[in-house]
Amino acid sequence: MSDAETPGGHTHEHDPDHEHGVAGPGYTTPAAMRTESGREKTAFVMGIRVGMDVDAPDFVGVVDVDPDSPTYAELIGTVEMPNKGDELHHFGWNACSSSCHAEGMTRDHLIVPGQRSSRIHILDASEPRELSIERVIEPEEVFEHDLSAPHTVHCVPEGKIIVSMLGNREGELPGGFLQLDQEDFSIDGHWEADLGEMEMNYDYWYQPRHNVMVSSEWAAPKTYYPGFDLDDVEAGKYGDSIHIWNWETREHEETLTFGEEGLIPLEVRMMHNPEETQGYVGAALSSNVIRFYEEDGEWDWEVVIDLESREHPDWDMPVPPLITDLLVSLDDQYLFFSNWLHGDVRMYDVSDSANPRLVDRIWAGGNFGDRQEVAGHDIHGAPQMLQLSRDGKRLYWTTSLYSSWDNQFYPEIGEHGSLMLKADVFPDEGRMELDEEFVVDFGDAPGGPARAHEIRWPGGDCTSDVWQ
Amino acid sequence: MSTPGAEAEEPERYEVTLCWRDGRETSLLVARDETVVDAAERVGLSLPYGCLYGACGTCTGKLLDGTLEHRAEPRALKERHREAGYVLLCLAVPRSVCRVEVGATVQADLVPNPWK
Repeated sequence: MSDAETPGGHTHEHDPDHEHGVAGPGYTTPAAMRTESGREKTAFVMGIRVGMDVDAPDFVGVVDVDPDSPTYAELIGTVEMPNKGDELHHFGWNACSSSCHAEGMTRDHLIVPGQRSSRIHILDASEPRELSIERVIEPEEVFEHDLSAPHTVHCVPEGKIIVSMLGNREGELPGGFLQLDQEDFSIDGHWEADLGEMEMNYDYWYQPRHNVMVSSEWAAPKTYYPGFDLDDVEAGKYGDSIHIWNWETREHEETLTFGEEGLIPLEVRMMHNPEETQGYVGAALSSNVIRFYEEDGEWDWEVVIDLESREHPDWDMPVPPLITDLLVSLDDQYLFFSNWLHGDVRMYDVSDSANPRLVDRIWAGGNFGDRQEVAGHDIHGAPQMLQLSRDGKRLYWTTSLYSSWDNQFYPEIGEHGSLMLKADVFPDEGRMELDEEFVVDFGDAPGGPARAHEIRWPGGDCTSDVWQ
Repeated sequence: MSTPGAEAEEPERYEVTLCWRDGRETSLLVARDETVVDAAERVGLSLPYGCLYGACGTCTGKLLDGTLEHRAEPRALKERHREAGYVLLCLAVPRSVCRVEVGATVQADLVPNPWK
């Protein structure tokens, strides 16, 4: 069993960089996580049934990603939720590398919100292959705080867990941030002291060393829940800004408004190096990658990757790529992102962060991909949620976005479920290759087809861990 | 034990027929104060749903015949959807015998692919 599979993820006793002897659940540096954590052996993957005629709840799936295992590339377990209709979406850890110095903390619980139900599940993940539900926070407890639609979960250094919430109790704006206690998972209340100009919420990232948090914007739950309507974009109901927060005082400090260049800014990823004050946000609809950064105490932004829409022979209007997920490798050298309407996943060298350089891409599924099947499995959907191995050598992705949006753009997912796929990445050569052998078909999930969504590794990953 | 007037206190129920697009039909009795989703759950029928308070639209059905009332604001439906007869079955209570088109694909009618 590698360190990555142990409940604590990593023990500092064996870490030469960490000599003060305080045990914690994470890694002292991104480099330590990248080089010392060992290869991922299991993956936790969200399996969603919402918007399908499958009479079963959503589940957290356990996928075997150990090539030496007889069940390699199989869904070896599922933990079904106690209720139907949750729409599990994103999830996170009770503790990550930002709790590195928190004595006694272990990375052993997954916080699994239901995007539609507003129900929050706490799973015991101390044995990755024997996940179990430990506690459920019912929607009514969340609505009491005038919040709904939980999204991004991060642990934060002061013994707390924060969940970005996209709506108020009615599913309308503005939402906010829900704070849970790391010990007993009780609700503390709102994290933020002051919402300021923030009217919409989505994803967020923080750099504690620079006292900053950056949040992005999707739309009101009642707007995006039923599906994507261009009328709503024209009516200004979708986001185009990110927000800069004071991490200590929890006050909203500044809004960076992108306008047309940054419509629907979704995932926010800052560099892993805690010294850095920059990161990227993917503007899904404008299909731009925007770099935000602090220079001489001022926050600013620039479009660093601008993708073009494309004519589709059977469609009336040019189709935007729709950048739906992005991530940065633990060494901050590569940026990966997915174009869910076009069907490619891209790899950029960002060692010169203001000038990303496209080094490779893979087409798989989508509305433009030449390759529409892998190992005999039809690809339903297109590259979407990404997860990179800690050593940066394997990129995995799933092909479902969100139940109602799937049903609009890739309706076959609703009937057949979606896939988890993988590419081998060669960081030294700056290229990647689709693994023709690796397919996990969520159409074959026990109890009926499911949509595969976010992926996490026991032991932490480059979209969950933040360093102090 | 029977009490005088007990019959009058019985909740009024209406037969609601659920019609799936594959041709399957099932009828059930739904009380005036019971949503179609709750009634379906009670008898072990699977209808899609999500938020259960009218914001998400996962439970969208289309009223083919009869009267259903929303007992709270159906926020997920736009004016054009309401006029076209779409209903949110997590909020909908019957006011007459009804026929409703149901199933996960009805929701997808609300917002077509805007580029196609």
